[in-house]
Formats: sequence, structure tokens, C-alpha cells
Amino acid sequence: MRIPIRMIGIATTFFWIFLIAFFITAVYSAKDLQFDFGDPKMGLTADNKVLFSLPITIVNKGYYNIGAFNITTEISDEEGFTITRGSTFVRVINKNDVVTINHNMTIDLNDLLQKGQNYLFNDTELKIYEAVGMRIAEVIPVQASTNLSLPWGAPLYNFVLGEIEYVAHNYTHLRVVVPISFENHAFFDLVGSIQIRMFNSTNVLVGEGQTNIEAIHNSLYNGYVELYVAITGMTETGHFEVSFLTPFFNYGPMVINYG
Amino acid sequence: MADANNDSKKRIRNFTFNALKAVVKGFLVYAIYFVLWMFLAPISEIVPGLQQMVETFVIVYIILMIVGELTSGTVFQHFFNAAKALFVIGYLILSLKGGIFGLTFKNVSLIVDLRLFLIIVTLLSLLGLTKSVLQAINYMNEKTEYTRI
Repeated sequence: MRIPIRMIGIATTFFWIFLIAFFITAVYSAKDLQFDFGDPKMGLTADNKVLFSLPITIVNKGYYNIGAFNITTEISDEEGFTITRGSTFVRVINKNDVVTINHNMTIDLNDLLQKGQNYLFNDTELKIYEAVGMRIAEVIPVQASTNLSLPWGAPLYNFVLGEIEYVAHNYTHLRVVVPISFENHAFFDLVGSIQIRMFNSTNVLVGEGQTNIEAIHNSLYNGYVELYVAITGMTETGHFEVSFLTPFFNYGPMVINYG
Repeated sequence: MADANNDSKKRIRNFTFNALKAVVKGFLVYAIYFVLWMFLAPISEIVPGLQQMVETFVIVYIILMIVGELTSGTVFQHFFNAAKALFVIGYLILSLKGGIFGLTFKNVSLIVDLRLFLIIVTLLSLLGLTKSVLQAINYMNEKTEYTRI
């Protein structure tokens, strides 16, 4: 019986040494894992969605491969509504290897605006849930996650129509100049057009006009829209219907009363 | 009278040898822990309480090992070896919270799934426990045979 006992002892010792050495070196390897986050890029997809691309460089200087590397980003509003979710997966990062991945996310601003116009006109805070998961030495699953908040800048912050100016164009028509102003707090440059339709007090369309806008981000935009309106259709009160057409989103008509 | 004297001397010699062996073994285990801890030290800055957890484990393990060595040649040696194996299983299950080890560090929550590691450790400790039980059976068996002769 001594020999089997001794064999068990030898096998146990061997496995213990192997296990401890493996575990210690695997944990130590995690220290030699580097993540470099590049500058985020923004673009537009073929279906007019905003595309965020974050380049991530992973340098694995450890003793073992990294398996099932996964990065997930979830952006939601203050009420918990998920705006977008992006996930990037790398099956294996070999030891002594450098891997660069692009973590992409798309945001459909039209979908966002369907939930409320708040995002267009008011700055707010977005919640970001970020999770990075991997298998150290392709065996030990590790996940790190955090919650962040991201300020959302409204592209049409403080949008107002100014004092309307009426100028005689000819005997039958007036030239109506509607000043518009807003601040583009968004992270993107706003390029597109604003269309204004003017209705009198009896809801009859009396004139319409549009102007192209080009508001770089974090800047104040001042412009105007010209409308040619028949004098006979004019009333002291009425309303405008304002529509926005941009590559990122289409919004409108938004009703603003005048008079 | 002379036999009793010799027996007593032999016992003292055995005990001294066992004590010396226990001290060397304990020192070796502590030296191994000391070397391995250098690898784990950077992690301990992130994981609060890791050093305390490992130190407690090593201290209890060394104590059980020393007591086991001091009782070498008796059936109690095998009891302490079995206790050592059970302690490894129990302590790791409790301290690693069933294998899912979670902690929060500066708004970042970290979850490490050590269930596979824990399963292997448990199996190895069970193997150690089996060995101790077999050794105890073998010891009793040999003692019985010796008594008969």
C-alpha cells in the first residue's frame, strides 16, 4: 500500500506545483497587458446613422494568450432607455502580440428623436455602461465594468425665431424675414436646411421658404429665412411650421406661433 | 532500566529530528510564499485584503504542517494532514466566495471567475485527503501486524 500512497503523493505534489506556478504567472501576466485608446472618430453610415469608432490597441506582453476579449458599450438616457449598444469581440490575442481593433457604435438620431425632442433642444446627460471581458490565459474569465456619464449637447440649443420683419416686395406680396438663431452644442457640425411654412389665423398656408445652415459644433448660429407672402392672406396672428433636414436627422414640423 | 533509558533517549532524538524537520519545512514554505508574493504584490494594491487573506492561509497551513510533523510517526500525523487538506478546501471556498471573486476599485467593478481554479484545488485537496486517509489505514494496519508478530 505504500507504493500507491507514494504515487498519489508524487502526483498531488506535481499538480500542486503546476497549478500554483500557472496561477501566479497568469495573474502576473495580467499586469503586462496594455490598452491604448486612440482618438474617437465620428462618421456617417450609408443609412445616415452616426457612427462612433474608437480605436483600441491591445498589447499582450504576458506569458499567455488572452482569449475571448470582449468590449461592450451601452449608452442610455437618464430614464434607462437604451440609445445604442456596441460590442466588439476578439477571439484570441496571442502572447507578445499587438492587436488594434475598432470599437464601433451607431446612433440613429431619428430613433432618438422619436422618444422626445429633448435631445435636439436641451443639453442633458447620457449614461454609459462600459464592460471589458477576457479570459486570462484563455482559462480565467475576468470582467471589468464601469458606469460613466457623458454630457449630451443639443444641436439646436436655444432655438428661437426672432422679431419678424415685413418688407414690401411688390403690390401683392410682402417679403417676410424670419430671423433664426440657435447654438450647436452637439459633438458634430450641423449641416442641412431649415424649412419654414407660414400659416395665417385660419390655418391657410400663406408662404414658405428655406435656408441652408452650416453650424460648426460649439458655435452660435444666426441666420434668417425669407418668405414671400401674399398681402391678402396675411393676418396678425398665425403660426409657423419649422422643419429641419440634415444628414443626421429630419425633424418637424415644429409649430411656433406668431403675433 | 537501561531499555527504558534507551527508549526515552530514542524518543527525544525522534522528537528533535521531527521538530527540526518541521522548522525546515515551515521555513521552506514561508520562503516559497515570500518569493511568490513578489509576483502577486502589484495585484494586492488593487485587491484590498488580499495580503491578509493569503497571510492567514499561509500561517494556518504552516501551523498545521508543523503540528503534523511534530506528531510524525503517530496516527495524529495523518489527522493533521487530513485537516490540512480540508482547511485548504474550506478556506478557499469561503475566501473566494464560491469562486466568483468581485471587488470595486475607483468606480470600476471587477469580477474574476475562479471557479475552475477552485474546482482543481478542491480535487487536489481531496486527493491529499484520500492520501491521508489511506496513510492512516496503512499505519493502523502495519501497527496491528507489528503487534501480532
